[in-house]
This record gives sequence, structure tokens and C-alpha cells, in this order.
Amino acid sequence: MVISIGGAPVGAEDGAPGPARPGPAGPGPEGRTRREVTRGLRACALTAALAPLLTAFRAPHPRSGRGGGVPDGTAADRASAEWASSDRVPFDRTYRGCRIQGVWIPARGAGEAGRWHVTVDGRPLHLMRRADGSWLSTVDHYCSYPTPLEAARAAVDALPPGQRLRAPDPADDAAHPHEGGRHGVRA
Amino acid sequence: MAYVRKDAGTLTAGEKRRFVNALLEVKRRGEYDEFVRMHVAYYASDGERGLRTAHMAPSFLPWHRRFLLDLEEALRRVDDSVTLPYWDWTRDRKATSAPWTADLLGGNGRRSDHQVMTGPFAYREGNWTLKVGVTEGEFLTRDLGRRRAPIDLPAKSDLEWALKESAYDVAPWDSTVTRGFRNRLEGWGTGRGSASWRNHNRVHRWVGGVMLSAASVNDPVFWLHHAFVDLQWHRWQRRHRGARYLPATAPGSGDAQHGRIVARRERLPPWDVTPAELEDVGRIYRYA
Repeated sequence: MVISIGGAPVGAEDGAPGPARPGPAGPGPEGRTRREVTRGLRACALTAALAPLLTAFRAPHPRSGRGGGVPDGTAADRASAEWASSDRVPFDRTYRGCRIQGVWIPARGAGEAGRWHVTVDGRPLHLMRRADGSWLSTVDHYCSYPTPLEAARAAVDALPPGQRLRAPDPADDAAHPHEGGRHGVRA
Repeated sequence: MAYVRKDAGTLTAGEKRRFVNALLEVKRRGEYDEFVRMHVAYYASDGERGLRTAHMAPSFLPWHRRFLLDLEEALRRVDDSVTLPYWDWTRDRKATSAPWTADLLGGNGRRSDHQVMTGPFAYREGNWTLKVGVTEGEFLTRDLGRRRAPIDLPAKSDLEWALKESAYDVAPWDSTVTRGFRNRLEGWGTGRGSASWRNHNRVHRWVGGVMLSAASVNDPVFWLHHAFVDLQWHRWQRRHRGARYLPATAPGSGDAQHGRIVARRERLPPWDVTPAELEDVGRIYRYA
């Protein structure tokens, strides 16, 4: 999998990157080497381990696979590409002092769906999808939002002041036979 | 002999003390955190595949009814005089009303970090350290009424909007249905903003802090809130005599909801019980 989780390149593809200044506890530029790679590998391991769970994700509105949805060509093309991938555009913003980043991880094979990997200050924020296509997070679990970015912002709004999401537990790499799993909740 | 679940606002000092002590003991024994984990594990969303039992599904009410009975059994193993109180949020609507008193659940979180500083569940008391959670904090958090952008609790008229529905639930039996008692009570709305969270969901938001998260069971108000939600099911049954849990039978293999919801006489995981068996629990408890 060739995805840099939390790296600047992803944010740069956005075309409209947010403030480059990382949040107070966000990963600094100096950390974007070995740690970045390690994090990417861990994310891949996690993805592999959770594959059965992740296949549970379905896209209510199947769309054409135009990669990361980078706008190109004519305005019509661009509008079409934006529509086709409106919920696939990576983001990297600072919101109320927190760095929120999200990237769509495409399906790796037939019969598998892609998923969003969203972080707040580098910590994973688990998202779920509603049947109407909107998104909810484990922080703000009783309301949903039109896009992963808005769900991430709402999570920042709902986080108690000064609190961070918990760090991923190495135990999360193990598959959970339990129905539904732990959804990234410290347990 | 059925026991009685009482309005939290009417409990005597002794009843409050015994309820609180039983909760603290269930927590001390490590049983409480299993309830938190279970609620997290069974939260499946309807935009994803798989069976939904606890939310965004017809079995929202029987699932939580059985979940409450399990906690109540754990409390009654500690002290058999204890029953779950309910919080009537149509009447006790302030951050200082029941159940937010120092002798019951304690008050609002402080402004700086939303940490609950009063009552028996305050972190500094040493008896309520959060073990299961979405965030790093080990202390209980609340932001009653959401101070940054204030909202109100649901009103009697909001409950009435749900109770007047004659159908228990309607196809496609998920969070997108706009008719039916179940989702109008559970509270998944359409659109965005304040109108999109109603009744049950809105109360989780009004309390805020951990109550808004996947680990909402960490706040003991979870049980008082859901006891009141459970009472609404009973009230709805009394108003619509003969109305039953729906769907009566499982959606067929051609239906998008096939295998994704629990019909009236199907097993409701994780228990060996059906929604039909949970429709009338009058022999176990009643509401005062």
C-alpha cells in the first residue's frame, strides 16, 4: 500500500491545503521520516488485521475510481471529478488548534471496500457511515455529518479541552472476533 | 413480585445512597467496565454491513431494555433493595436539577477541562476511574447544555411526536426512517444541525463529555436516561393497544435489510432472548 498517513504530500494534493502550522501536539516536520514510515506500516498492518471488519464498510453511492480525485482538465472535468470523489478528497487542516487529517484508503481487492483513515493530532479517529451517506465518529457518536472532514471537526468540538484521543493500542492489531469490534476505543 | 423503578427526582436520601454504593461496588468488581465495552462492541452503523442490534435498528429498545436489566441484576446482587431510577428530562431540565446533585450523580464538568468535580463519581474520590474510552482522560467529563453553543433538552412535545406514531417501526428499519415510534424516539433525523438530533440522541448531546462518545456508558446517567427511554416504550404500548414490535418477520433474501436486523421472534444478540420476549416485562419491574 503506497499511502503516507499524516504526511504533507497527501495534504498538498488537496489543492486547498489548510494552514501548514501543525497543532500544538501535532507531528512536526522533523518527524516525517522514519516515524512516518513506521506509522504507515502500522496502519497497513492494522488494515490487514481488520480486513474482515473493514469489508463491512460499503459505499452507499458507488463512484468511479478516479484515484485520489485530484482535479484536472476542464472545468467540467473538474466538476465531475469533484462530484465523483467529493468524499474521497484528502484533507489536512488545523481546526481550533488541532491538526485534522484524512485520507481515503482504497480497496485492495475485489469484494473489499475502501475506508477513511482520519486522525486528530496524529491519533486515529474511528468513523462510521450512516445509510444516508453521512459520517459519525466515536467522539460524537449520536449525530452525523455530511463529510469525514465535518465529522472530524465535530469531534474536535466535542473533545474535552486539553484532551487527546487515546493512542492506538498494539492489541488493536489483533482481529476481534467479537461482533462490531472495539472501534478504536481503549478497552 | 415486580420491583419498582422510580423517578430520580423522588428518591429518598437512603435510596440515592444505596443506588450510588451499588454502582461503585459493581465498578470496583470490574463488572461495570464490561458494560462499557459491550455497548461499544454492539454499536454498528447502518451505512455498513452486518447485523445491527443496539442502534439504528428496530431492536434499539429491546436491546437496551435487556442491557439495563443486566446492569440492574448486577446492582441487585450487591444490594437487592436497589432498582434503576429514571431521569425525566422533560421535567428535570437544568444542570442543577435531579440527577445532577452531589448525593446522586454529581454536577456539571468544570469549564477548564469538563472534569466532573462533585459527587461520588468525581475522579478525586478515587472510585470512578475510566478504563474504557475514546480519549486519554481517566476522569468523567460533562458539558451539560453545551456551554459553547447552548442547546435544550427535548421537550414533552418532542416525546409526543414519537409517542403518537401508531407503527413501532417502518421499513427500511434504519436511521433514515422518518415515521415509526422507534426512530422518532431514538432520534436520527434528516438534514443537519439541531433538528437532526432528537429525543434519545439529543440527550446524549446535551449531557456531552463521555455521554456523547462511543463509551457513553462511563457516565452513570446513561442508565437513568435509558430507563426513561424504556419507560416511553411502555407508554407507547399503553397508548396503542395491541401494537407490537416490528418487523414481525425477517426481511427476505432480496431485501437490503436481510440479515441486518432482528425480527420479533429472532434471537437478539448477545442474549438468548427475542424482542417478543422483551415486549412485556411487567412481571420483572414497573415504573412509578
